[in-house]
Amino acid sequence: MSAPSIKGGGVASYPRLRKVKRDDRITGFLMVSPAVVFTLAMIIFPIGYAVFLSVTKWAPGSSAIHFVGLNNFGRMLSDHVFWSSFRVTMILFVACLLIETIIGIYLGIFLSKDIPGQKVLQAVILIPSIIASVAIGMMWIQILDPTLGFANYLLSVVGLKPLAWLANPDTVLQSLIIIDVWQWSPFMALIITGGMRTLPSEPFEAAVIDGASKWQIFRFVTLPLLRPVVMVAVLLRSVDLVRFFDTVYIMTQGGPNNASMTLNVYSYLQGFNYMDMSYGSAIMLFLLLLVMLISLVITKLRGRTS
Amino acid sequence: MNSATRRVISVTSAITVMMLLIVLISGCSQATQGSAGGTQSKKLSETITVLAEKHPWTTAIQPYIPEFEKQTGIKVNLNILSEQQQRAKSLMTLQAKSPDIDVFMSLKSLEGLAYEKAGFYESLDKYIKDPTLTPADYKINDFMKGPYDGERIEGKLVGIPIIVEGPVIFYRKDLFAEYNIPIPKTLNDLVAAAKTVEQKSNGHVYGIALRGLPPAVCYDFGPFFHNMGLEWLDKNGSLNFDKPGAVTAINTYCTLAAKYGPPGAVNNNFYQDSSLFAQGKVAMELDSSNELASIIDPSNSKVIGKIGVFAIPAGPGGNHPTVLQWGISMSAYSQHKDAAWKFIRWATSPEMQLKLALKGIASPRASTWDNAKFKASLKSTVKKEWAKTLEFILKNGNPEVGPPAVKEAEVRQVIGNNIDQVILGSETPQAAANKIQQQAMEVIK
Repeated sequence: MSAPSIKGGGVASYPRLRKVKRDDRITGFLMVSPAVVFTLAMIIFPIGYAVFLSVTKWAPGSSAIHFVGLNNFGRMLSDHVFWSSFRVTMILFVACLLIETIIGIYLGIFLSKDIPGQKVLQAVILIPSIIASVAIGMMWIQILDPTLGFANYLLSVVGLKPLAWLANPDTVLQSLIIIDVWQWSPFMALIITGGMRTLPSEPFEAAVIDGASKWQIFRFVTLPLLRPVVMVAVLLRSVDLVRFFDTVYIMTQGGPNNASMTLNVYSYLQGFNYMDMSYGSAIMLFLLLLVMLISLVITKLRGRTS
Repeated sequence: MNSATRRVISVTSAITVMMLLIVLISGCSQATQGSAGGTQSKKLSETITVLAEKHPWTTAIQPYIPEFEKQTGIKVNLNILSEQQQRAKSLMTLQAKSPDIDVFMSLKSLEGLAYEKAGFYESLDKYIKDPTLTPADYKINDFMKGPYDGERIEGKLVGIPIIVEGPVIFYRKDLFAEYNIPIPKTLNDLVAAAKTVEQKSNGHVYGIALRGLPPAVCYDFGPFFHNMGLEWLDKNGSLNFDKPGAVTAINTYCTLAAKYGPPGAVNNNFYQDSSLFAQGKVAMELDSSNELASIIDPSNSKVIGKIGVFAIPAGPGGNHPTVLQWGISMSAYSQHKDAAWKFIRWATSPEMQLKLALKGIASPRASTWDNAKFKASLKSTVKKEWAKTLEFILKNGNPEVGPPAVKEAEVRQVIGNNIDQVILGSETPQAAANKIQQQAMEVIK
């Protein structure tokens, strides 16, 4: 910013200087105020309110503010459904992220090649990621129906025994992972394709001249160059995965017998179905911390690579 | 940048912010004016907000609302949301004591006790008793006992029923005839019928589809429990799952689901049940009477013309089907209570309920079922059997879908989860009964 031009000098000009400075400050405040207001209203207030709810008793009709301290957090410790939800959330997070990253890199590199019909292929592959999750849930309910579903028909065609998919506590998580991978790998691929296209061609040419094999090129040239892009994709996907909600809620509501209950679904059930907003908020805050922690770890990893 | 430009920028921004503030403030004051309602403008244009669920009743009554607006001059702002969203919105609005809702659809069997204890419902007793507010032609005594009692919580009338339903059994007449199965008279007959179907069809057709999705189980399971002669709670408010009948009820229900039901019954709700039945994969479907519409829908049913309906058969303790009614209630925080009552009265009047019944909405009023026009509208045998079964439910029904509790949804989840454990084979009926007794009592107390 250029220095303010002040005419004259000495004592007489001081008030004017001060006025300009004040104007400057006001302008500054006014300029940032929309962002501040937005942050306060949309981020700080809801989080603050959740913290408030989590230390008070919120039940229908309770008007007086009744502080319960850390009771809701204490309740988490002894709540076995909470811990199993935590476990399920982490299993889904790790498994989906790993598979989606691998498939995403593979698909991303594939899509970045100039092959005929590449544009059409890219658009078609991306369809699962742009359909509303509720519609996806409804569609997969039909595909995975043990009696009427297409999945079991396929199994029967190749001579395998039918599965109960979402209705069996032992297979429900695998089924959810399949659906999530189907839905979100293309999204990872899209980011990675974008990254691939920005890579310089010199290192690849050099590697070819040096006689590197295809695997060596991938392992020692492509992957290291792609790493920052992959980390961005991983970060974006992680935040969503920890908050796993929509497809689970539509398809199993956490069942059978809590085998697919994620923290987000459990918090929703507590808050809106069981009308215990306080406990629901406490679980949400735990989830928020978890998301922040995971983002922090990934950001740290990202910083190290660049 | 010189100071003049700077001044212009700061003055412009200040003016913009001021204008924004003015708009905001004037917006607020307009809102208060509107809700406080000057006596002058009140009669001219009063607006009430009706919060409704996306439900067959709402779809059926919506086209008639302009008639009401014309008759009374009251404008109706109909706000339609899906079931979960509607419940979340009513809970949040009422908890904030906001006057934003005047009339709302409410499922008394689920949230009734919690809402009543919270003081969300306006008592309708005084409106019903006052002849200036409720003329005699409203015929309050015309409402059937089950649904009307269901709208009464701890003695207080908190809503008026609009539609009734209950679990019934849809069955395949052709298969029953082919395998020589009589209509089941007892719960044991029902199990035997399901078994016969599976055996004689060599497992090609499953015996019965019923609900297994935890929060939805109580609706189907309730009659099994009541037909053992058990209420959900005893006189001291303690659960009755420690009685021997409870184990028999769980055993019967889970045998049907696990042995003679389709695989994966634990995730099934009305949607899956009706799909299975409509596709001819099961011989019986135990589900809501409302499902008739989807199983006789030519676009997705393969069994049209082969369907019959009967009530869930009796057990050793008699026959006590579940009756579920939806009702409309008035918010205790409404600022347009008279207008809200006018709307409720209009929507639940004998004439309107007949009109809706002709569109397939099961009426809670006895006069509708006796009406010649309504009877004539039931042309097919399946509709006649359906109406007969529903009438039986209405007359004998128990309005408690699950054990009445402030945290009813959580109690139902506990029952559903444990019944699913038995269906999955990881718990015995006795162990499930013990666990329900213990876990659900913790929620209730």
